[in-house]
Amino acid sequence: MIEFRNVSKTYDKAENETIHNASFKIEKGEFVFLVGSSGSGKSTLIKLIEKEEDPTSGQIIINGKDTTNLKQSRIPYLRRSMGVVFQDFRLLPDRTVYENVAFAMNVVKAAPKHIRRQVPLVLAQVGLSKEANKYPDELSGGQQQRVALARAMVNNPSMLIADEPTGNLDPNTAWDIMGILNDINLRGTTVVIATHAKDIVDAMNKRVIRIDQGTIVSDKKGGYDEIK
Amino acid sequence: MRLNSLSYMLREAFKSVFKQRKMSSASIAIMIATMFIFGIFFVLGENINFVMEQVENKQGMRVVIKDDVEEYILEGLKSKIQNIEIDGKKVVNTVTFISKEEAMKSIKERLGDKQDVLEGLDEENFLPASYFVTLTDLSKNQQVQDEIMKFDGIEEISTDNDTIAKLNNIARGIRMGTLIILVILVVISIAIIAYTVKITVYARRKEIEIMKYVGATNSFVRGPFIIEGLIIGIISAAISVIIMMLVYNGILNSILESNVIQSLSVSFYTFSELFLRVLGVYLLLGMGIGVLGSSISMKKYLNA
Repeated sequence: MIEFRNVSKTYDKAENETIHNASFKIEKGEFVFLVGSSGSGKSTLIKLIEKEEDPTSGQIIINGKDTTNLKQSRIPYLRRSMGVVFQDFRLLPDRTVYENVAFAMNVVKAAPKHIRRQVPLVLAQVGLSKEANKYPDELSGGQQQRVALARAMVNNPSMLIADEPTGNLDPNTAWDIMGILNDINLRGTTVVIATHAKDIVDAMNKRVIRIDQGTIVSDKKGGYDEIK
Repeated sequence: MRLNSLSYMLREAFKSVFKQRKMSSASIAIMIATMFIFGIFFVLGENINFVMEQVENKQGMRVVIKDDVEEYILEGLKSKIQNIEIDGKKVVNTVTFISKEEAMKSIKERLGDKQDVLEGLDEENFLPASYFVTLTDLSKNQQVQDEIMKFDGIEEISTDNDTIAKLNNIARGIRMGTLIILVILVVISIAIIAYTVKITVYARRKEIEIMKYVGATNSFVRGPFIIEGLIIGIISAAISVIIMMLVYNGILNSILESNVIQSLSVSFYTFSELFLRVLGVYLLLGMGIGVLGSSISMKKYLNA
């Protein structure tokens, strides 16, 4: 599903490699945490998966296709196979919850009939049926992130990529969001989460890829700190 | 493009024009100002061309016929002159025959009470017959003269070459000047609109970013902004036509009342005669500037 083969990434001006010779493979239906301190390269890994950044060397294979030399015009179609969630939610403030989610379907040119059926279903999944007509600033942080999750899921992507999805949330709300992500995974969607929420990673006992100064230092099932 | 996405883009574009009322009004105001200046020069240019045509048509040459020419040659001359082609195009407007008798009559009229100078000359009319030839394109004057001189039975051609050359220079100058001003104005207005749309795009950069994350193609991202530019262009064009009509009619009325114009006996276009041309130019300009402006300002946000 997602495979990195000896991927390195150097930004133009940086002297050191941001990502150094990273190789890993995430299979369909897996739930994987990417952990590491700030600046360790987690976000760069996520950006490489989304092809927001290109690797300096190595290959990245998504759904069996090498994306390294993907044409600019094909990138939108790659992104449709993955839902993306951010720390800062990135909702459109001038649109209602419903419109924010429907927006993602409009973008992929879904039929209006299909949109009217699908959006309420996804909103129900994240527990926001009643908030459909509210605007983002009328919602709590946790609710906003659930809207973002609904938006990421509405086109039924085969994988969900989240960059610090609980970074701006209090612990209880963070657990809610992780619960929803776990549900999504149980329905068969591959989930990759970059985070440094230690207690959550420890408690969920999933596969953890740990990155330190651009190098993958461990990759195994268990808690946040289980290195070596 | 599927109908779904077209209707989505249209909806989004209209919503955005309305939501960003202040920005849209600013764009429309700038466009109207540009179109107004543009329009002034455009109708001025059109009218100058129109007046030049009228003046040109009145300028003619007198083709003097040899006295001893045979009747059948004389009769053939008219259609020969009428059918002269320069660069494959007919350029002769009218050919009027002035007989010896008519020439004498007109001279007598001009002399008025001093007709006695002609006395004793009456028995044998010394005045030649001639053709008065006017052209549709005065710049071809010399070439037409050369052609006519090739025909049999031509004595000479008398023409006011100086006036013709002057008129030609004036017309060329005015057309050139109008063209240069038009080009400058178009460049300026595209730059202004591009800047205005850039502000709109900047205000919506978050939306564009999110669109790209959920897999929108570039053309889909661009669509609503281009249509927005189109809508603004069309609205501006419609308002500009109305403003232009009011201003034009006002100015035309006061010009027509002035004595100078009446004595020159030239006429100008009425606005209804210019309406389609002005509307066409405005729509073309509005849509062109709107689309081009949007495209320029979108470019930066799409290459990421």
